[in-house]
Amino acid sequence: MLIKKPGINWFKLNRALHRDIGYFCIGMTLVFAISGIALNHINDWNSNYSVTQKSYNISLVSKDIESKEFESWLLNELKISIGIKARFWQDSNIYKLFYENGSITINKNLETVIVEQIKPRFLLRSLNFLHLNEAKKAWVYFSDFYALMLIFLSISALFMVKGKYSAFKHRGCLVLLGLATPAGFVIFYAS
Amino acid sequence: MNLLFLKKIMFLIILIFSCDSFAKSTIFGDGADVSKKVKISEMLNSPEKYKNEAATITGSIVKVCKKRGCWMELASDKKYQTLTIKVPDGKMVFPMSAMGKTAFATGTLNSMKLNLAKTRDYLAHKAKENQTEFDPSTITQAMTVYRFSPIGVTIVD
Repeated sequence: MLIKKPGINWFKLNRALHRDIGYFCIGMTLVFAISGIALNHINDWNSNYSVTQKSYNISLVSKDIESKEFESWLLNELKISIGIKARFWQDSNIYKLFYENGSITINKNLETVIVEQIKPRFLLRSLNFLHLNEAKKAWVYFSDFYALMLIFLSISALFMVKGKYSAFKHRGCLVLLGLATPAGFVIFYAS
Repeated sequence: MNLLFLKKIMFLIILIFSCDSFAKSTIFGDGADVSKKVKISEMLNSPEKYKNEAATITGSIVKVCKKRGCWMELASDKKYQTLTIKVPDGKMVFPMSAMGKTAFATGTLNSMKLNLAKTRDYLAHKAKENQTEFDPSTITQAMTVYRFSPIGVTIVD
């Protein structure tokens, strides 16, 4: 009697790998997808930092802007307690003071003082940091590994379903559409 | 795995992502070579010399590209003078929190000769950026814009 040896069920194995690698990729996919939208629209909205400006009219008559006394007087007028890290004359009229995550711009002629504060945006700054590969080092290899897993997910997806909903029947049109769309953009914009 | 454990893990992940401490790297590329220090004013006085010869400049960071972090402006040792450090997008990303800190950058100087129309456009753009008034009719001569291309940058507090 011929006994058939139990072999590997490739269909089942593919589905199991697709499921588990898919679960593992959820986090990374969210990182790249959310920051992808944010970075696509960076010219319309700064997703890295929130920059706020407050303007004050302060009389600067008879004030020696470069003196130490002026700095403490100004900070007192503005009612802020910060340490000044650097000073800079932008031109003969505009003087800038820098503090941790912000600056104070003094316009001598207009007698205006603008206090600018920069805050990294909650979550988005970190997601963009990863998306733009600012971390470098091991992140390069981990994101390469993620890319390989995405390649596996896209190819294994072709073999997830048998029968009339298979990618090799009518549903194959969706696969072709997915390939044709980026190709269409290349033909339209790059030619 | 119970639901409470999963919730704790999710909370921890969000906490890590919301922390900006990862972005506080102070060395970009190979870092600066401080043995090649040259004053910015000296470099801009003889720009031809530094087109091919790598040198290190230093100065307070007075402006950073708000969106992509692809350039920053260093204050020169000479009053009112600055030099822009420019990198291709993504090569180095300078954080806005670097403003007011001191940067050391090693690299070479690039020049761009502008015609009169481009000079007016450039200065108009700079005036808008600096929130100052600008009258293009006062500009009668074309100018050359200098930019520094770094291979390494070190930012210190």
